[in-house]
Amino acid sequence: MVATNHILVTPIYFIALPLFFAFLLPLLGKIYKSFIRIVPGLMFAYLAWMAVVLLLYVYKTGNPVIVKIAGWAPPIGIDLVFDQFTGFIATVIAILGFLVWMYSYLFKKVEFDNALKYFLLLMLIYAGSIGVVITGDLFNQFVFLEITGISAYALTAFYRGRDGAEAAFKYLLIGSFASTFVLLGILLIYTQLGTLNMADIARNIDKMDPTIKVIAFILLFTGFGIEAEMFPLNGWAPDAYSQSPGPIGAVFASMTSKAGLYALIRLSFTIFDFSSANELLFIMGILTLVFAEGIALRQEKIKRMLAYSSIGQIGLIMIAFSFNTYLGVFAGIFLMLNHALVKSLLFFSASFLAYNSPHKYIKDIQGFARYMPVTALMFGIGVFAIIGFPPFSGFWSKFYLLSAMAEKNFVILIILVLSVSLIELVYYFRVLHKLYFAEPTGEYQPHTPRWNAMLAMVLLALIIIAIGVYPDLVTGFIGKAAHAIMDKTTYINSVFSI
Amino acid sequence: MKKAIAIILLAFIAVELFVVFYKIPFGADRMNVARFYLENSPKKLGVANAVTAIVVNFRGFDTLGEVTVLFLASTALGSILFRRREIHTRLSHLRTSVEASVIVRIAGRFLVPLIILLGAYVFIHGHLTPGGGFQGGVIIATGFLFLLLAYRKFTIEHRTITFVESLAGITFAGIGLIGIFLGKTFLENFLPAGKLNDLLSGGIIPLIYIAIGFKVAAELTGILDTVLSISIDVKQKEIESQTEKNE
Repeated sequence: MVATNHILVTPIYFIALPLFFAFLLPLLGKIYKSFIRIVPGLMFAYLAWMAVVLLLYVYKTGNPVIVKIAGWAPPIGIDLVFDQFTGFIATVIAILGFLVWMYSYLFKKVEFDNALKYFLLLMLIYAGSIGVVITGDLFNQFVFLEITGISAYALTAFYRGRDGAEAAFKYLLIGSFASTFVLLGILLIYTQLGTLNMADIARNIDKMDPTIKVIAFILLFTGFGIEAEMFPLNGWAPDAYSQSPGPIGAVFASMTSKAGLYALIRLSFTIFDFSSANELLFIMGILTLVFAEGIALRQEKIKRMLAYSSIGQIGLIMIAFSFNTYLGVFAGIFLMLNHALVKSLLFFSASFLAYNSPHKYIKDIQGFARYMPVTALMFGIGVFAIIGFPPFSGFWSKFYLLSAMAEKNFVILIILVLSVSLIELVYYFRVLHKLYFAEPTGEYQPHTPRWNAMLAMVLLALIIIAIGVYPDLVTGFIGKAAHAIMDKTTYINSVFSI
Repeated sequence: MKKAIAIILLAFIAVELFVVFYKIPFGADRMNVARFYLENSPKKLGVANAVTAIVVNFRGFDTLGEVTVLFLASTALGSILFRRREIHTRLSHLRTSVEASVIVRIAGRFLVPLIILLGAYVFIHGHLTPGGGFQGGVIIATGFLFLLLAYRKFTIEHRTITFVESLAGITFAGIGLIGIFLGKTFLENFLPAGKLNDLLSGGIIPLIYIAIGFKVAAELTGILDTVLSISIDVKQKEIESQTEKNE
């Protein structure tokens, strides 16, 4: 915990800097118009670098970096916890934040006001998602959930059409329920224990009245489940994914849903002591997986298909965590990493493939591989990686998932996961087939990505292949992360030792 | 059938919540953290109003988040209703045709400066008396609402609003960052705490509350103006459809 008060590298910057620059951005835009693109980029780059530095520090020393805010140690004040688990997820979000910025660097080049709003919301949704992950305080997590949620509604309604407004309104309604449930849950805990710090709640949780504890858990689980796109609370997700600007689909998949998922895991693993929490996670995971993949098979629009596939992956991750074994949690974290990388690549490439088509039907992009070979190749890499072909990162995540299941002798589950992969294969290959082998309709003009978007996609594809060829790049970090989330006592002790 | 199931489910949730909340004894002493706040906010922070100490210092990080939520809400509203506002500026002559009564206009002249003064008083004395940045900001926004209702010609310059809210936001986050640069933690007090009950006491707490006051006032005024311009737009559509009918 040496780095707690370091001036250049401290986890507080993940939240303080995006908020500071979000407030500053309108003024910067008045000085020089391109500042609204450049300044967020410098900030994202700095934070991504800082995340890597912090993660390496935590990995090498084994000490989590815990920061007090306003000088008060927990449980009096709010603390940020950057340990092996939260740090890993925060690093993934930080790196993807930078790549999303690079991808959308030239977004709305001509419309200044819209570009300003876009970069402002991007910084805030990033700060909110990282905040949910690294905060050590339950109410603070609620505040960040609100920031994430409201910037997501605004981004869904970004193109001011009728469909966008409808999707945003739907999301707003469900999201308000999520916030209310979370707030009620926090209220119940506070009336019982008089504290809001997660570690403090976790060590006193057995002092709670059993009925109140169950209800509080259900309220919190439902609330965060909505943000994590858990079945049946994910009605907002396909609309939001398909109505928001292209790169925001990647943001939803890699940041907001990961933040919700993290909250669910922290709730079940650390804060509450129910052994049945894992069973709940398991059942919801299975339901989410089966329904989402089944619906994805019938989608005609590419972004909706990707959205349902994304929900399916969330189900898979929930199943992996529900085993509560080292191998299961390890597979779950690997799946989270894989999903964040691959789904971002798929959204990046798909939004350029379907750039000029207003409704983003799959048939609109047929034969586009001959016009935009590199983008189509990127989409292809994403497809192979998400289904789990070697030598891509998806192979290892599914491999570890299956070994976790084999370790517990869940034969039926293995069959289920493999058949779900088969469904994925069918609907993804249908798109690939159209993309590569069908005759172009000529109805829509292809739109070749600019250099910045191309660079972002190539970088993502390289990361995916590098992890696929040499998984030891990340397995060390994931292993420590799995140990960190499963070890409740160390978490509590390290929070109170500062 | 669907509705019946929905009602039964809602009733079930309501009963469960009622049972749970009924169990919580009223006024029971569960104040583990809160007792610390009550005892230490005058002693260690030099702040007479314990609520302010909690909002701005102990849980100031949450407040920074809540201020951001408000900022986002006004931005999101502006982005959803943006196109309508363009229509309204084109039809600004319409606003002048429905003027408020003389009583409202004259009273506005007297009351608005007083309302703004009261709002400023509330947020400047946030660390001493009940109230603070959020309350003071809302009071100031009601003053502008009065002007908008009384004088149809009165328009709010959105550039000024953006400028004020940006500057206030930077001040809040910037004061927090200064704490880090001085080797302390984020949002930690780095100014002398002063004497309890003095206007100049509490270190950075009054500064932050003043920034919040400006920010809340600017944002709520912006939201009011945006909402008002849609209602006028809707009215214009009604008039247009009526003239079509008459023709």
